Amino acid sequence: MTEFPRQISLQEWDRRYEQLHEAGLDEPSYGGPISRHIEDGDTRLLKLLYDNSAAVLRLWNFLLTEEDRLHKARAEGRKLVGAMKDLGTIPVMAYSFDNLTAFYPDGAWWIPCLMELNSGLLSVADKLGIDESFCPVRAMLGAFVTGVHFPIPELLICSVGATCDDFSAIAQRLNSLGYAILWWEIPHRRRPEPDEPGVNLPGGFSAPKSQVEFVKSELLRVKTALEELAGERLADEKLSAGIKRANLVRAYLAELRRLVFTAALCPLPALEMLVAEMLAIHFCSDQNEAIMVLKGLLDEATARIKKGTGFLSPDAARIFWVNPVADLQVMNLLEQCGGRICGTEYLFTHALDAILQDIPPTEALAQMALADPMAGSSADRAARICADIRTFGAEALVISRIPGASHCALEGQVIGEIVRDKLDIPVVELEIPPLTDSIRPMLRTRLEALVETVRERRKK
Amino acid sequence: MICAGIDAGSRTIKVVLLDADTRKVVAKAVTDQGVEQDKLAQKLFQKLLKSGGICRKDVAGIVATGYGRNAVAIADTTITEITCHAVGVRHLVPDAMTVIDIGGEDSKLIRLDKSGRVRDFAMNDRCAAGTGRFLEIVARRLGVDIHLLGELSAKSRNPAAISSMCAVFAETEIIGLLASGTAREDIIAGVQAAIASRVTALAGRNIDLPLVFTGGVAMVSGMETALESVLGAGVIVSPDPQMTGALGAAILACDRK
Repeated sequence: MTEFPRQISLQEWDRRYEQLHEAGLDEPSYGGPISRHIEDGDTRLLKLLYDNSAAVLRLWNFLLTEEDRLHKARAEGRKLVGAMKDLGTIPVMAYSFDNLTAFYPDGAWWIPCLMELNSGLLSVADKLGIDESFCPVRAMLGAFVTGVHFPIPELLICSVGATCDDFSAIAQRLNSLGYAILWWEIPHRRRPEPDEPGVNLPGGFSAPKSQVEFVKSELLRVKTALEELAGERLADEKLSAGIKRANLVRAYLAELRRLVFTAALCPLPALEMLVAEMLAIHFCSDQNEAIMVLKGLLDEATARIKKGTGFLSPDAARIFWVNPVADLQVMNLLEQCGGRICGTEYLFTHALDAILQDIPPTEALAQMALADPMAGSSADRAARICADIRTFGAEALVISRIPGASHCALEGQVIGEIVRDKLDIPVVELEIPPLTDSIRPMLRTRLEALVETVRERRKK
Repeated sequence: MICAGIDAGSRTIKVVLLDADTRKVVAKAVTDQGVEQDKLAQKLFQKLLKSGGICRKDVAGIVATGYGRNAVAIADTTITEITCHAVGVRHLVPDAMTVIDIGGEDSKLIRLDKSGRVRDFAMNDRCAAGTGRFLEIVARRLGVDIHLLGELSAKSRNPAAISSMCAVFAETEIIGLLASGTAREDIIAGVQAAIASRVTALAGRNIDLPLVFTGGVAMVSGMETALESVLGAGVIVSPDPQMTGALGAAILACDRK
């Protein structure tokens, strides 16, 4: 069934699907050709280029059937938890219960892209006073109001404090519409004072012990609410088991990232890697299946590397990418311009690092939550980015801005200057709206110029 | 051997023919950009060949650059204007370390290393407020020939503060300033300072000198002074600034042969 790795269109995938099917493709219940999702209105899919492997077919189908899974979970009597903003903490806790399914309503931020602005979600947000001066995640507000894209969860939990200002405003607006939200606070991470007890966090950060204790107390509040919803007490052993499962997802992703970003020939495209990385934060509403999907991708990447096959030219410029793109097509564009992704920081590096398993589980989750790149300074983020650039051998940095996102207005210059100073590599900032069609020539120019710059710098 | 560089910019198309051995410009020409970019580029190229008595077969390579580069079918390859401007400027000013290029629809800042390679670049992407288009809007609104802007701004004693970051709203500000009796020269000086501030902001904290100013807007008098004032440092206007991108493209075409 394995074919030489290629990026193919949706139409080509239909033919490829038939081939795979005839060859006895073993599909999960949510399987089928990717093109069937066009019926849901996801017309952007027609314009993307996809990896041609069965593992990637499974990934896309897994991603695009999340709504069905949530409805099914509800029909089966499971309680739904909407975890908002924390990007990786609460779902670990929620999936430790037997009868809870957590998901990220924030994921609705890609609906305007996938539906090419035809979802109407942004205009709903506009009418509620959350206009385009806010991040595209305002689509989530529209999704709640229309009730079309996901079932309304029994419990909504949102982190607040050292988080994105727009998101807090959007979630508050949601709250004002009558959607009850359990808020939990994440403080701005700071380094301990010299005489203050400190804790080393995952990702190379540190924080005062008092901050870890505070977050722990907040998480205990969340845990109590989840226990009430589930009708079951969450013992430490059970939470530890949940952490272990989450760490399995993280371990698969860590290995996948290592393989893909460091391989001589790129074994998996940037677009699919972006989608795969997102599984770390939300498991696409099925933790066990997320593990299987990631295992499939890892097997495919490993097999390709062993065979010496892959995508793109071996001299593709090795690009480190900061922030996820609102328009998925930009990931294809980078590759068309001669670049490949070698390292990412999509705002949730804390969800990629292993959660400590040798300390009490709530303490471990608190430490992980405090290691959130958004909870600390941009300089802290830059330090982690520099470390990862070195690890993956990236030759240039793209800082992709999300229109309206308040953090993007502040972080780009800081991160860019620190990376230039420490690593002396070119840095480019781009703004990526949900649909980039009209600015594609401008984006292409910048990405091509970045690739030209990288290639020229190789000539020592 | 002759090589050609074609800069299909947003407002004009420029062609440079370069002698690959002497690296001297054999011929050059400019025409306004239009809908049929490829036809316009070909026409200009053919005209230049004819005027110089050069046969098409004598042109060994053609590199196209600029926003319309992919539409130029006669080009052997395309290279972005960032790389081409850097090469063109470095050819003309060998010790240049920073390039500011203000064109019709965008502006860019390019940092070079000591060997002349591009280290880094930044481009404006928000608005026409840092571009030649803004100057055109202002000149039209004030009823002034764009080439006289510098002459007038030099007479300013009290440059107006243009606060808007948007060309459209800035035009509204200008209407307000005119209505309040602000002198034209003060408005022009204010606009040129606003453009200079916007473009130099692309550099962040550090600008390495010498800095070379290129692109069509470098031909507009007063802009060099406005940049110098904002930077607090001298600015070198590239010789024949409108042609720098095409020159760089021609040099790169020669290098590929």
